[in-house]
Amino acid sequence: MKMLNKGEVEQITSCALCANMCKHGCPVYLATGSETLTPQKIARLILYREKGFIRDEAGFFKVMFQDAMCGACRVNCIYNNFDLRDFIHKERSEAFKKALLPQETGRRVENFARFGNPDGERQLIQKGNGETGYLVSCSTYRDAAILGAVEKVLAARGECQEFGGGDICCGAPLYYAGDTEGFKKVAEKMKGEIEQRGLKKVVTSCPACIKMMTEIYPRLGVRLDVELIHISGFIAALLKQGKIKVNRMKATATFHDPCLLVNDMGITAAPREVIEALGLEIKEAVYGGKNAHCCGGLPGGKIGDSKLSGRVNAMRAGELKETGAEVYLSACPTCKAALAAVGMKDIAELVAERISDG
Amino acid sequence: MEIETFRSKRGKVPSGFIREVKDIVGGENVSQEETDLISYSLDYWMYGIFLSQYGKLPSLPAVVIAPGDSREIQGVLRCANKHRVGITPFGGGSGVLGGAIPGGDEAVLNLQRLNEFISLDEISCVAEFEAGIIGANLERELNHRGYSTGSIPQSFYCSTLGGWISTRAVGQFSTKYGKIEDMVLGMEVVLPDGNLVDIKPVPRRSTGPSLKDLFLGGEGALGIVTRAVVSVHPLPQKVVKQSFVFPSVAEALEVVRKILRGDARPAVVRVFDETESERYFGVKEVTVIFISEGEPDFMELEGAVVSRIARENGGQPRGESPVDRWLEKRFDIGLGPVAMQQGVVVDTIEVVSLFKDSANLYRDMVSSVKAVDGTIMVSGHFSHFYREGACLYLTFAGASPDSFRYYKDSWTAAMEATLRNNGSISHHHGIGFWRKEFMRRELGAEGVELLRKIKVALDKNGILNRGKLIEDAE
Repeated sequence: MKMLNKGEVEQITSCALCANMCKHGCPVYLATGSETLTPQKIARLILYREKGFIRDEAGFFKVMFQDAMCGACRVNCIYNNFDLRDFIHKERSEAFKKALLPQETGRRVENFARFGNPDGERQLIQKGNGETGYLVSCSTYRDAAILGAVEKVLAARGECQEFGGGDICCGAPLYYAGDTEGFKKVAEKMKGEIEQRGLKKVVTSCPACIKMMTEIYPRLGVRLDVELIHISGFIAALLKQGKIKVNRMKATATFHDPCLLVNDMGITAAPREVIEALGLEIKEAVYGGKNAHCCGGLPGGKIGDSKLSGRVNAMRAGELKETGAEVYLSACPTCKAALAAVGMKDIAELVAERISDG
Repeated sequence: MEIETFRSKRGKVPSGFIREVKDIVGGENVSQEETDLISYSLDYWMYGIFLSQYGKLPSLPAVVIAPGDSREIQGVLRCANKHRVGITPFGGGSGVLGGAIPGGDEAVLNLQRLNEFISLDEISCVAEFEAGIIGANLERELNHRGYSTGSIPQSFYCSTLGGWISTRAVGQFSTKYGKIEDMVLGMEVVLPDGNLVDIKPVPRRSTGPSLKDLFLGGEGALGIVTRAVVSVHPLPQKVVKQSFVFPSVAEALEVVRKILRGDARPAVVRVFDETESERYFGVKEVTVIFISEGEPDFMELEGAVVSRIARENGGQPRGESPVDRWLEKRFDIGLGPVAMQQGVVVDTIEVVSLFKDSANLYRDMVSSVKAVDGTIMVSGHFSHFYREGACLYLTFAGASPDSFRYYKDSWTAAMEATLRNNGSISHHHGIGFWRKEFMRRELGAEGVELLRKIKVALDKNGILNRGKLIEDAE
């Protein structure tokens, strides 16, 4: 209670008094039909907690961890520069302080304390040389197929460092759990990891890593002197420059836009350029491109409620299946895992499969 | 501090009712959590929204139930009859007359899980949807397949198909595509006693009174619409945008009347008074915008007819930019929430009259609301045109130490002006609970009694949406 300054109270009140003009794009609302999980009602609850009206604190925090944090509400907001996620994050930080985390989120935070990553003990990866680095995100580390594919692409490109695993993580799991202090330490550690490797460019497959490093780190005073590039743009540029060549294939494909990639970075063209370079005919989903719905993530991720993330996974898989495409592609290892029901592949995997020698 | 309710205290329903509905819809779809009760306590009734910023809500329902299909809704309503529990249907929660505000000892029936696109029949140009789908998503499904209903209300992004049907809603492109009653061909409705009526989709029939018209405007008091078949149009191949300014609202209305009499049917026709023209376009002249859309040859012709009649009758052309400005700003309601935080009460009122009364109604309604102590601003525009008349849409804002007195007096002034000028008290927002006191003067005592008899015949235990549409039986 009383966490917000005057300007923030005005902002959250404007959201709470709006007609919910962004609810149509909210994946959690669409998967559940729950009015409580729509942005305007979340804003009302935050305002009421700020004013001391909420009696069921645990119930309130439960709702805060049910939001997808995907940014669809920001994109569809009628106000400029308003992002409800910032307010939800503040509340999650309160929940963290009070140890009121959802079970799976809490487990990942505990793992972080022991192993420096959300998943537990793992090997440190350090390969290659050069001023360009590929950051193996936690989600990529868990997916050997994507990692192998990326390594094949990087080998074709030339000199590049690969680093990750062990206790190297951008800190996104801590950020979404509300552990702001822990997250800041991880941000500072990541800055050191990049600087000690002398990197000028960092490529990664995980949109959350890029969001953390470009948008959230600076808010905590951690500024990276490095260019961050998503793998989709990196591969699209290599194809354009003729540095890698691929054997074209004849099939239809639907691309699932990862939420942070489209909503926070505005990237929709690069992955499609890659897909078209492969010769595939794109069959857009009804909710594709800037209207794409979040995949729902994995248990304990941006949505802390594991059962709920499963419902969003199922909804999104259903939306994608409707295109009847032969191939389903994405550009985020978490999306790939969350949407396994449609046989999702990462675009890097398909590119690696189709790389030709000349 | 705690939530203050002014309609009733947080109520109770029999525990047997809760137990039984959990068996019907599943325990995870029945909630008595504080967060849910707060979230379903209010729709978009503007005075309720104004008060909500202070933690004042009309009421907290006893329980929220979210069925997944018609069969579950049937079960819940039968159970409600058994236990005499009031049920308030909740669609998108975007209604502005309090039609979805529950009473304290009542259950909210959240219909938003029924949000699927079902089918498109391209031969017949009809599509079927579950009623809980949000308008923007309904259109996205259709647009993706090359079609549109043409129903684009200002609440497009937050209202549902079921809500459109239940309030007899209209969209901004209504002059060409018609209103929701023109679009709905068939529907499935769960009656208050739990029985199900399936009204098959056909263009027209002669089988006695139209049953679907019982529920077009039924406001959730006569039945719960669960799915509907609507008419659709191929996406337009040509869009012609025009605007003109006129010396007065009356002269602008006369031009629109002549255009419609000439059988032109622009999709959008809007006449903005000087105040709204200044707000939207930065000019203190009455501005009229037209959008014609459809087959290219027809639209060229329609555009020419509109232009000729407007110019011949004193219209000064202003090109496409005012139309583009309106298209850009038409969903922007951001000013209201900001003003409310300064203690300003804002609302809109939509009424309808024949052309012979339109200009007088506008003048009387604006001056009547302006005369209310506390008024800061009143403006109006006409939209949703017919060959015979038009909808007048008033926006007002004001502040007073007694905000409720100001709100009530403004509404009363507007309704009195409407009735004085032979208008109807609502064009498309409906009645809800807030406007029902004027129903007797709208329909006459006999008309209200007829409506009540229909309500009682359908809902003998009075469980559905109590206190809405008509006064409860004494």
